[in-house]
Amino acid sequence: MLKLYHWEPNANSGKPILAMEEKELDFESHYLDLLNFDQHSPEYLKINPLGTIPALVHDDRMLYESTAIMEYVDAAFPGPQLRPSDPEERWRMRWWMKFCDEYYAPSASMLGWNAFIGPSVRDKDPEELKRKIEAIPQPERQVAWKKAIYGLFTPEELAESARRVAFGAQIFEENLKRHSWLAGETFSLADINAFNLVYFMPANPAGHVSPEKTPCTMEWLYKMYERPASKRAWSRGKTMTADRLTHLQRPTVAA
Amino acid sequence: MLELYHWEPNVFSLAALTALNEKGLDYKSRYLDWLNFEQLGPDMPALNLEAEHNPEYEGPLLKDGDALISESFFLMEYLDDKYPETPLKLRTPYGDWQVQVWGRFLGERVSNAVSTLGCHRYLHPLLKERRINSAETVTGRFAVQERQVAWREAIEDSYSEEVIRDSKRKAGLLVERIEKALAGGGEWLVENSYTIADIDAFSKANSLPKLLPHVANEEKAPNFWAWLERMRARPAVQKALATSKTGKPDEAFAPGPEHPRWG
Repeated sequence: MLKLYHWEPNANSGKPILAMEEKELDFESHYLDLLNFDQHSPEYLKINPLGTIPALVHDDRMLYESTAIMEYVDAAFPGPQLRPSDPEERWRMRWWMKFCDEYYAPSASMLGWNAFIGPSVRDKDPEELKRKIEAIPQPERQVAWKKAIYGLFTPEELAESARRVAFGAQIFEENLKRHSWLAGETFSLADINAFNLVYFMPANPAGHVSPEKTPCTMEWLYKMYERPASKRAWSRGKTMTADRLTHLQRPTVAA
Repeated sequence: MLELYHWEPNVFSLAALTALNEKGLDYKSRYLDWLNFEQLGPDMPALNLEAEHNPEYEGPLLKDGDALISESFFLMEYLDDKYPETPLKLRTPYGDWQVQVWGRFLGERVSNAVSTLGCHRYLHPLLKERRINSAETVTGRFAVQERQVAWREAIEDSYSEEVIRDSKRKAGLLVERIEKALAGGGEWLVENSYTIADIDAFSKANSLPKLLPHVANEEKAPNFWAWLERMRARPAVQKALATSKTGKPDEAFAPGPEHPRWG
């Protein structure tokens, strides 16, 4: 038995979804609405007491941490190998996943939460919101939600995040100048991880990722978009998120 | 030939040295005095993109032929992938997942907390003693902005009370988790097998009896304490600690890495 508890097929939820689609695994999908705080409901806390998504349930075991889940999925199931056999490439895969998880993504998501997620839940009943925040099990996550919901990010914090997103886009491009894929010449979990973050960058008006500024990143995004697994993963979305993908179609070359 | 560029055997350097020793690999120790900025000097190999942007800022680098490996937890995983004899990871997917979850917790929540406490208590006075008083003269040496901020904080001891309090909480969380992991009578953190989770945890825990004496002690945390003594008794750990030139490796801290900026 294989069950995945997830939200939209992007960011952290998108990582295991895309990895499982690449391996063509059958799994039971449980969609939770992050903006309705489904992940902090008593029913879900029985499954994952940390109240985080995604979570993978395989037989009688519950696994969390999206990047580690992907390594588990690759190790535990047959299908195409998603971790390079070469130790140096495998190291590079992990290095760039950490870069995404702890540097690039938190800054991009602070901007995204400030602009979209905070405002979209702010108009709920204040008392109900307060109760929902109090139900969040981890203190770090409570702080994160409070900041997003009540718009408590300082201008300095937001400016620093914007700087990091610009800088992140730049060194991401530097890496792709050296190799076809993030870890080297082999497609890997690092590409899956990063795609769930970088896919929306070309649509971002800040313009850090574009055919002119970052041609290697754009070529990589086109290749990622063309993979059948990406299309299957994105068809699991229930909101407008998936519409952001249209700009990843490779432009047709004029004759 | 394997070469490890490192400083005093504490935190990240201690993890890398211990793993190399446990593997019984032949390597050259390249000890550089990070407080004398030798990590920026001519004795260093040419840096790749990853080393330039090393998330540990001051962390060990492993040179293995043409490969230059940074980030100490991934460095240990690299060693285990490349030199599979004397395994230091579990060979089952679930075992490996548990080891990686420890790695993520230690890297993201604990290493920065322990470093902040150590820099506040030991590094700042030491920098003063060495007359490294002016952040301006130091930060210009580093290209990466976050690394400049980390050095400035250490030189000026500008850690807020809130950061110190939160660091104590997170460092305490390590003691708590180790205590809990060993509550069933096991000797090691994951499935009672000795792995890089133990090595990594020890590299951050070895200073805790000094930094957090009210929490990290034999009476309050007997399982933690017994594990600490088991770790300290291992020849690989003793060999790593013996690379110390200050004689007090558990008081040696370098600036960084940063705390998560958002929850």
